[in-house]
Amino acid sequence: MSHMTNPLATPDQLFQRRSYGALPIELQDAIFFATQCLTQAAGILLELPQSVTAQANVLLARYWLVEPPMSHEFSDVSAATLYLVAKLSPTPRSPRDLSNTYFYLLSPHTSFFRPPNSPPPPPPPPTAPPASASPSHLPTESTYLRFHTRLLHLEAHILHALSFNTHAALPHPLAITYLQALDFLHVRKETVARTTIQYLNAALLSPQMLYLTHQPNALAVAAVYNAARDVGAKMPECEWWEVFDVEREELGFLVVGMRSLVGWGAQMRRELDEMTGGKGGMVRRRDVEAELGRRGIRVGNGEGDGGGGPEGSGLDAEEEMARRMDEKMAEVEMAS
Amino acid sequence: MDGKRHPNSFQQLEKLGEGTYATVFKGRNRQTGDLVALKEIHLDSEEGTPSTAIREISLMKELKHENIVALHDVIHTENKLMLVFEYMDGDLKKFMDTQGERGALKPVIVKSFMYQLLKGIAFCHTNRVLHRDLKPQNLLINSKLQLKLGDFGLARAFGIPVNTFSNEVVTLWYRAPDVLLGSRTYNTSIDIWSAGCIMAEMFSGRPLFPGTTNEDQIIRIFRIMGTPTERTWPGLSQFPEYKTTWQMYATQLLSTILPQIDPVGIDLLQRLLQLRPELRISAAEALTHPWFNSLMGSQAGQRQHAQHHQAQQQQQMMHPQGQGGYQQVPSQGNYGAY
Repeated sequence: MSHMTNPLATPDQLFQRRSYGALPIELQDAIFFATQCLTQAAGILLELPQSVTAQANVLLARYWLVEPPMSHEFSDVSAATLYLVAKLSPTPRSPRDLSNTYFYLLSPHTSFFRPPNSPPPPPPPPTAPPASASPSHLPTESTYLRFHTRLLHLEAHILHALSFNTHAALPHPLAITYLQALDFLHVRKETVARTTIQYLNAALLSPQMLYLTHQPNALAVAAVYNAARDVGAKMPECEWWEVFDVEREELGFLVVGMRSLVGWGAQMRRELDEMTGGKGGMVRRRDVEAELGRRGIRVGNGEGDGGGGPEGSGLDAEEEMARRMDEKMAEVEMAS
Repeated sequence: MDGKRHPNSFQQLEKLGEGTYATVFKGRNRQTGDLVALKEIHLDSEEGTPSTAIREISLMKELKHENIVALHDVIHTENKLMLVFEYMDGDLKKFMDTQGERGALKPVIVKSFMYQLLKGIAFCHTNRVLHRDLKPQNLLINSKLQLKLGDFGLARAFGIPVNTFSNEVVTLWYRAPDVLLGSRTYNTSIDIWSAGCIMAEMFSGRPLFPGTTNEDQIIRIFRIMGTPTERTWPGLSQFPEYKTTWQMYATQLLSTILPQIDPVGIDLLQRLLQLRPELRISAAEALTHPWFNSLMGSQAGQRQHAQHHQAQQQQQMMHPQGQGGYQQVPSQGNYGAY
């Protein structure tokens, strides 16, 4: 067992991901991006160290490698992975904190996934229940209890799906160590370091799933390389990455992968904006289902009651088939 | 670890003990008939799966070593989490209470246990795992006199330190002085200190530093090991718990306090119980200490040793009423160690 390395995705798993139900890959990518961003936003609001939030990003990516994204509400999966990783860290957070944070991030009050100068949210429709004692940016007790049930259920489910492989080695500390070793001349260490960390954090959001296909040392070297190039630092002329056990080919791939994120992120945002009907905010399963409907695609693994609870994850292909057969039988009986 | 195994694959026998976050039962594998220890985790209705259980599983399923209790399986159902461990007859605490002479063990047994303990620790450390909670209750013993590390609920993986660890670890009596002084950057050396305390306790039958509070624990250590100063321990005054009011104790001779231990053994103990963490011997080094020469001088010696135990074992089986046989240890031990 090594704590410097991670279990990587197998080619089979990566291929499988392309064949989950009928969910087009660009939708999967958009969901991945949005959910990872949500985890990051929640991590900041919960005042968690980035090392914790980043590990939650890695676990979420691992989880979706073995579980179709549509089987649970995306925000619930984000909350459960973050809750789980924080619990194992020196900075645990209570289910109540998680509930408040995610309730806020999913509410119309937040600027999450909304343009900075968007109009204020429309006033609540007149049919809304009268304002209770709690301010509207806090969940009601029953909302909290439902969230809590889903959180614990998903936590157990994720642990099982990952067979308790909860450890995620991050490239961040390695990158800092490499930077110290390289000692770029003429450039302030802070400048290179900041850009390096930015590359590493952005790569967490990438549906290329770089953290599942490359070891931390390779990610660290690629981020250092990109950062040094960006700030115009002079790099050693030899093949210095070999010192850190990274080959030219892998480095090249990662360098391009990390650099492509900027343009790609903007495209994701447009895609998500479209999916949420231009109102912004976090994408939900019902948005994806509506989008699929617009495209005329049916997915087998749909939403049940919208709660995302154990039963809500409901209708799988088999149940769907059974339901159709029941309908057919009913028709036959009616006809006879 | 397929998770598909049903709880009914195991016949649940008597309750062995109540751990901090779990109940341990003796169990029998219905297919093979093998005895196992079933650790049923209490799922907290508020917090969900306890972090101790998650840590323990994620570390122990990777740590496969003859001196670490083997985790065979994890059975995870909707509302229950059950860990299936190899069966051990009791723990070191119980063993000392029942087999020792007023708690003290024979030197040859202490040597064998220390060797096995250090082997288990060395394996953890090479795999970048700190146990952090070594104490006699967490060391399990079976009828073959094998010693295995258990209860990894407080263990954690370490890499390049990025954030500091909590200093709320390790039962007070076995807690290293640097941790007591508030260090949050401790490393493998904290397990070595615990091993030293356990070695002394096996010889004497009494805990070496039975402190009642953090403060008392520090003073008890200084009374024997001598009060350190900035001169003997550079950086000492930087620790959060550093006090200028400490009484200055002179260093005692360990050989006077523990006359049971031979001089070579005292030399090893001295290296385990160094106040300054960076001076403490590593587990791997300790295993090559001359004290163990008589025990495991060669591979042949090792085999002989094993055979010796086997012979003892057979004798006991033939004479179940024989005295001093470990077989007599009641199985209602303290199973918190699982």
